[in-house]
Amino acid sequence: MNKEQTIEELKNIVQPYIQNQEAFDILTEDTDFINDLKINSANLVDVILDIEEKYDIVIDNEAMERMVNVKAALEIIATKLSEKN
Amino acid sequence: MIGNDIVDLALARKESNWKRKGFLDKIFTLKEQFLIANAINPEIMVWNLWTRKEAAYKIYNRETGIRGYIPLQLECFYENATLGTVSIKEKIYFTKGIIENNSIYTIAVTNKNNFDKIESIDSAVTLLKNNGIPFVIDSVSKKKKAVSITHHGRFWKGITLLD
Repeated sequence: MNKEQTIEELKNIVQPYIQNQEAFDILTEDTDFINDLKINSANLVDVILDIEEKYDIVIDNEAMERMVNVKAALEIIATKLSEKN
Repeated sequence: MIGNDIVDLALARKESNWKRKGFLDKIFTLKEQFLIANAINPEIMVWNLWTRKEAAYKIYNRETGIRGYIPLQLECFYENATLGTVSIKEKIYFTKGIIENNSIYTIAVTNKNNFDKIESIDSAVTLLKNNGIPFVIDSVSKKKKAVSITHHGRFWKGITLLD
């Protein structure tokens, strides 16, 4: 799967929860959901649930624990999608 | 060490739908979900337990340097509406909460005696940061003092420990 495309999809997912537009506009793999995008930690659950719904995958506890930045999210999505097929 | 966390209930109602399918499963253990299901006011219980986990996580993160989204590892033992503990691995933190003005505020400490040594700091104070962790310089002793800051909606709380 194309990484750039997944980043765009991920941006659409996180957009409703971000509280720092500037960091969102220059989002890269290194962008941190909480420290950079200022996503409320309770809303990180919503990001995770939205990712599960969008890709029809299950993000287990172990994966969720790492889900603090864009890079981890991309890796988790790719891994879970490959396990599905 | 200390940690704190506040939830503005009015804002939480807008930002979060805790009744969303899967929401509680991702962040609360079965025991905690049982507490929520049996609470007179489940919404208050959700944010009460959540602020305990968040306040405890701030200490855990500072003690261990471990960063992660680990609400399920931080298990609440609920003594009553204001008191309890949060355990993670071999660590245990004590929590004390205040429910008022449509907000829920929790302070976590590593040692129960520290509840008597909590001092509020002013939001105008100059905050310095070391690896993202805030501290202030005491005006008298000139020593670094660890602080914990939380803000949500209409509320801002900052605390430090008296020597």
